[in-house]
Amino acid sequence: MQDQWLASPWLIPAVIAGVFVALGLLAVVLWTPVYKHIICLKYLFCGWKAVVPMVSALPAALGVFLLILVFAIMDGFVAETREMTRGTLADVIVDAHMEGLPYYDDLVRQIENIEGVQTATPIVQAYAVMRLKPRFAGIKPLVRPCILIGIRPAEKAEMGRFHEYLQRQRGAEYLAADVLHVPEFLRPRSEPPHRGCIGGIGLIGTPMPKKVREIVQAGAEWRVLLWFMTGLAAVITLFVWQASRRRHGRRLWQIAALVWALSVAALAVAAALIPVVPTEVERTQVIDLPLLDYGADLVVSTIPVRPSGALEVEAGGIPKVSSRVLTLVDTFKSGYWEADSTNVYVDFATAQQMAGMESQSASDGRPAAPARASQIQVKIADPARGPEIARKIEAAWRQFVRERPEVGFLPLTVNTWQTQQRMILTVVEVERNITALMLGMMFLGFGILIALISYVMAYIKSRDVGILKAVGARDVGVGSLFLGYGFIIGLLGTAIGLVGALLMLHYLDPIEIWVNSTLGIDVFPREMYYFDHIPQHLSREWCVAVCVGVLVLSTLASMAGGLLAALKQPVEALRYE
Amino acid sequence: MSETILQAHGLTKDYVMGATRLRVLHQVTLSVERGEFLCILGPSGSGKSTLLHLLGLLDRPTEGSVIFEGQDAFARPKRWRDRMRNEAIGFVFQFYYLMPDLSVLENTLLPAMIRTPLVKWPLAKRRHRERAAQVLADLGLAERMLHLPQELSGGERQRAALARALVHEPRVLFADEPTGNLDTATGAEIMRVLARLNKKGGLTVVMVTHDERVAAQADRVLRLRDGRLLHGA
Repeated sequence: MQDQWLASPWLIPAVIAGVFVALGLLAVVLWTPVYKHIICLKYLFCGWKAVVPMVSALPAALGVFLLILVFAIMDGFVAETREMTRGTLADVIVDAHMEGLPYYDDLVRQIENIEGVQTATPIVQAYAVMRLKPRFAGIKPLVRPCILIGIRPAEKAEMGRFHEYLQRQRGAEYLAADVLHVPEFLRPRSEPPHRGCIGGIGLIGTPMPKKVREIVQAGAEWRVLLWFMTGLAAVITLFVWQASRRRHGRRLWQIAALVWALSVAALAVAAALIPVVPTEVERTQVIDLPLLDYGADLVVSTIPVRPSGALEVEAGGIPKVSSRVLTLVDTFKSGYWEADSTNVYVDFATAQQMAGMESQSASDGRPAAPARASQIQVKIADPARGPEIARKIEAAWRQFVRERPEVGFLPLTVNTWQTQQRMILTVVEVERNITALMLGMMFLGFGILIALISYVMAYIKSRDVGILKAVGARDVGVGSLFLGYGFIIGLLGTAIGLVGALLMLHYLDPIEIWVNSTLGIDVFPREMYYFDHIPQHLSREWCVAVCVGVLVLSTLASMAGGLLAALKQPVEALRYE
Repeated sequence: MSETILQAHGLTKDYVMGATRLRVLHQVTLSVERGEFLCILGPSGSGKSTLLHLLGLLDRPTEGSVIFEGQDAFARPKRWRDRMRNEAIGFVFQFYYLMPDLSVLENTLLPAMIRTPLVKWPLAKRRHRERAAQVLADLGLAERMLHLPQELSGGERQRAALARALVHEPRVLFADEPTGNLDTATGAEIMRVLARLNKKGGLTVVMVTHDERVAAQADRVLRLRDGRLLHGA
């Protein structure tokens, strides 16, 4: 993701624009008369009444905090889902359904020539039934519906995380092409060798609660809590110090403020000194307990489909069942429930034979038929370009049919990873929109609050406005003083919210585990979400957009006070006491 | 040879209050010489503060013109009038009008802070502070510089306001009832300061008051009644 961000053609223009904007703002700030800075800060941090604008920064802080945190988690879900999809399926799938696609290797080569496509591989997919004899005594043989998937392991390895989802071979030094190979240590010498298969963990196993050991960063939650308290106390310190300047007997107040500030500093140091130690904790999780050992056999049966589309039948019109004994060489756990609970992976040729998609010579009055594949899975460089690449693949397919009329008319479906995961992505999208709407309403409230506060402030301070203008301040200058007032409130809120969100995201899992163990609230049931950690993906662009948005909103909202101050005639303000 | 620093020609000021148009100044014409101490005397409601605001470029007349140092002030852009108020004019008000959140020193530095950008402040600050401290010391407020206005007595507040009006060495000082809110002794002290600035410093002072005894200290007194000058300037 970082590479994509760095490779973006917008990066350099965006950086240049950002630098210009920053320099422009800096120039504006530096060339602004100094009275605005001093008076603005006095209004903000002078005395107890300054609590009002400070408190009004809290909605902004909360909004920024939630927008960044919630969207980072939701984006994490989307990113993980996409990776799961890429690992189990692909970015783009050209689906020929059960009819099968002939001359698939030629089409694969054409697709691989499309700009933006990294690789493509044919897949055979057939509905099947699996039968297995559990390793535990007393449990009857299980029969489950499944999807038989024929893959070319070396090519599939290039598609995504497929190998990372293998429970036995994950991380091992192996050749990608060998993942379906039955190793010596799993194959009893007395028995004839069978083809290897990889079964989805949900298909091979059964759900069972189990104590799981996890490594957590113990102490991180206390560190975050203390840092939050330190931040809050630091703001209070500012008030105490400023308030002390307005009191008789200020020495005593200042000593009190100093003691308080030292306490805050000690709190910050204490927070930094809290040891964060990797600690093993035990949690109850529902996991899929494999019912078969590696090396055990299972039987997969499917009904072959002829190139004509008819089912293979035996004498008497009974559908011909193609059964094959396979040896379990690995289990597959992607977190994508549908794949984990239905998929059985075998090598491409075996699947073709079982599904009736191998090349067939002419016999019994049937014409010869080329080998077929059910799908072509395509990996693309930029997942966001899925729809665009899908259109190019459709065009390539039309060209392919024109060049190879023997393929015949075949209604292919080209799906992107987004359309394949429409359900979950739609849910996340709806949640995102609702969250954005709610937080947007909150920001609207924040904007109104800032507008009211700045208006009331300008109204209360109208005599100050008159004084400043009498001494030569310009209308625009006095008005912009109140814009700066709103900007600083927004800046404060943004800073608090941003730092809080980044801290929270950094220590998300330890905090979640701490909440779970201390309060007994399971914030993130892993068995439900199928992730072993809370997914997160922090988008820099989003962070910048949220922060800039809040700053712009608070500055614009404070125009209410700014306009009142700018339009105020000095004599009106000074006429009456 | 005397030099006219300020002239008003046919100054008229109307206030619109709902459907009613209230004329508070009628064709006022006057002139002020450089170094003169002019007092405009009139009862409450006679329009003397309005006249002072027009002369001090704080408000715009309905009719007429103000010539400040040879320039038609209301024919010039507003930015010019703002600059004149910041550099050439000082104001003292009856109710002091010090900014409550700023210390006496900061209030005195206000004209300098208005014309100095942030980037130049670190270099200019020391010079401005020294000047402000000197003016405050001259007015007997050396010990009160870091206090807030509400911690001062009425006389001290007026002296602080005077310091703010004088710190940038204005060519004209406008004083609106400067003793109106003070007891007799403190008022007399303020008047002594104004007289000293006028006689020794050559500062042009335009003061409005309703008090005959205060007006008696001026070089020239103009009487204003119902928005009209009783004697020609």
